[in-house]
Amino acid sequence: MDRRLFLGSCVGMGSLLLPRPLRAAPGAAGAGRPKIGLVMKSLANEFFKDMQEGAVAYAGKRGDFDLLAVGIQSETDIDGQIAAVETLVARGISGLVIAPADSRALVPPVARAMRAGIKVINIDVAFDPQALARHHVDIAFVGPDNRAGARMSGEVLAHALGQGGKVAIVEGNPGAENGAQRKLGFMDAIGAGGLTLLDSRTAHWETEEANTVFSNMLTAHPDIQGVMAANDSMALGVVKAIEASGARGRIKVVSFDNIPAIRPLLKDGEVLATVDQFGSQLAAAGLDNVLKELAGQNLTGWIRTPLKLVTGRDVA
Amino acid sequence: MTDPLARRLRAVVREAGIGVALLLVVAFFALFAPGFLGETNLSNILTQVTINLILATGMTFAILIGGIDLSVGAVMALCAVVGGTVMQAPFLPPWAAVCAGIAASLAVGMVAGALNGAISALWGIPSFIVTLGMLNVARGSALEVTDARSIYDFPDAFLAFGSAHLFGLPLMFLLALGLLAFGWVVLTRTVFGRMIYAIGNNEEAVRLSGHRTLRVRVAAFTITGLCVGIAAMVYVTRLSIANPILGVGFELNAIAAVIIGGTSLSGGRGSLFGTLLGAIVIGVLGNGLVLMGMSDFSRQIVTGAVIILAVVLDSYRARLSAAG
Repeated sequence: MDRRLFLGSCVGMGSLLLPRPLRAAPGAAGAGRPKIGLVMKSLANEFFKDMQEGAVAYAGKRGDFDLLAVGIQSETDIDGQIAAVETLVARGISGLVIAPADSRALVPPVARAMRAGIKVINIDVAFDPQALARHHVDIAFVGPDNRAGARMSGEVLAHALGQGGKVAIVEGNPGAENGAQRKLGFMDAIGAGGLTLLDSRTAHWETEEANTVFSNMLTAHPDIQGVMAANDSMALGVVKAIEASGARGRIKVVSFDNIPAIRPLLKDGEVLATVDQFGSQLAAAGLDNVLKELAGQNLTGWIRTPLKLVTGRDVA
Repeated sequence: MTDPLARRLRAVVREAGIGVALLLVVAFFALFAPGFLGETNLSNILTQVTINLILATGMTFAILIGGIDLSVGAVMALCAVVGGTVMQAPFLPPWAAVCAGIAASLAVGMVAGALNGAISALWGIPSFIVTLGMLNVARGSALEVTDARSIYDFPDAFLAFGSAHLFGLPLMFLLALGLLAFGWVVLTRTVFGRMIYAIGNNEEAVRLSGHRTLRVRVAAFTITGLCVGIAAMVYVTRLSIANPILGVGFELNAIAAVIIGGTSLSGGRGSLFGTLLGAIVIGVLGNGLVLMGMSDFSRQIVTGAVIILAVVLDSYRARLSAAG
């Protein structure tokens, strides 16, 4: 019942045995190339859009596998993502790269896929180690260290304010792993730089909400000197609130993501720093590693992808 | 029931209810939330309620006529990205680009609203389901138009509106207030306005008495859409960004403002004055609870509880005024 799938002969890799996919007709895989599934979060998000485009470009460049990329409706559409994994398994993929919408809920379907012989690489947000242990699977994580990135950004603020500087944090979605990691990184910077944290609130990654929430925080704590925003979209709202309060130049902002809209603010010095995690290369790195696994390597642990601190100097 | 004086009295009682609730909330925060009564903070609150107030003004028309519009958040995103794109047209001088962008935003909103109204009226489909469909059409279109990317970098002249003040009040709030006042005149002083109430009360009766309800329904939803187009431009001028995923869930806040303001969800009863107070109650709660230092999660619980409480109180008032 097993079917042979060949990796590109030019690469000269071995072959491996896989169970027959549920629906794919025998020999359906184009020219014997492996099909790799890529499951992302919402493509309505610029970050995942970039990621998908990077993956498509990478697949085109290599040309030795077929890419089946799917996104989901919203960042938290866990059901949709589980269904996407199951559909891809049914379509006969031999490798899967996934950015889980939830670090626990996606473990069971992914573990099932692995038992069916599919190689899996985890990108963007790491699966929960305990959930992995409970399902007796070990999946390599390819992704940036959000905590270390946030700490780099936070340290720019700490340096600008000096010991005792008073700061506030604008958090991402409660429950989002990258949001939690970024907050921890900001806290690291606050601890190391001797800053005082006056308030920390969520604005659900959203510009308008960050604008409202931060102007209210500023009323409650008029002595805020610096803000750490968990993403650039929220930093945009924070900057607008600072401008409206007439505190432009007095309150400093650092952030995360490096979206195009933040660049003019970095240039003007309204935002001191942000962090680029090279989203467009993240899925490509995941694909690269899943192909290594298909070639026989066994990858485990955390394969860190690069992070870069971006300041006004970089965009001038 | 037909005595106009008694009816007006009942209307006053109805609106006084939410007014009293607002006064209580304000008094509470004045006592317990440091800095609440500061001039900057009050101005902040008005800025923060502006978008919801404009959306709720439009939503009042949809609800009064016995419908609802669930598409406003998504249509707002579409208006913002279309308006924003037009505004960046390189071949137009800045002022013309700004005017064209605003016009495009209003036009998109009105077309979406007119479609909502026409489809639900022509085929007798509940607007709930038509606008739910429109929600997805508009969100998808906004993503399609922008390829899921944010639009930024707008003419400075346009962005200046967002932070402008007049007589010490935020200009955009005054715009919202003007819009609301205009809507109030339309609803209470025109035949069209009375038709909206009448259809909301009993559409069949209006039809049987020889009036064409289709046009009124389309017009009411077009007004809802017009308000969405205006709110989208207020968003862009305030935040200098138009992004295809903005406005998620804004329809729920707008509906909450309308209902807290005493307008009946089944239509035919309510007023824009109530909507004004309802929107301010929601804004004041969001602001005051943060000033008190309440955690995000508790704040969500309290806001939800207050919405329920306001509607429960409103049902008592409705019964009282029906009995009295």
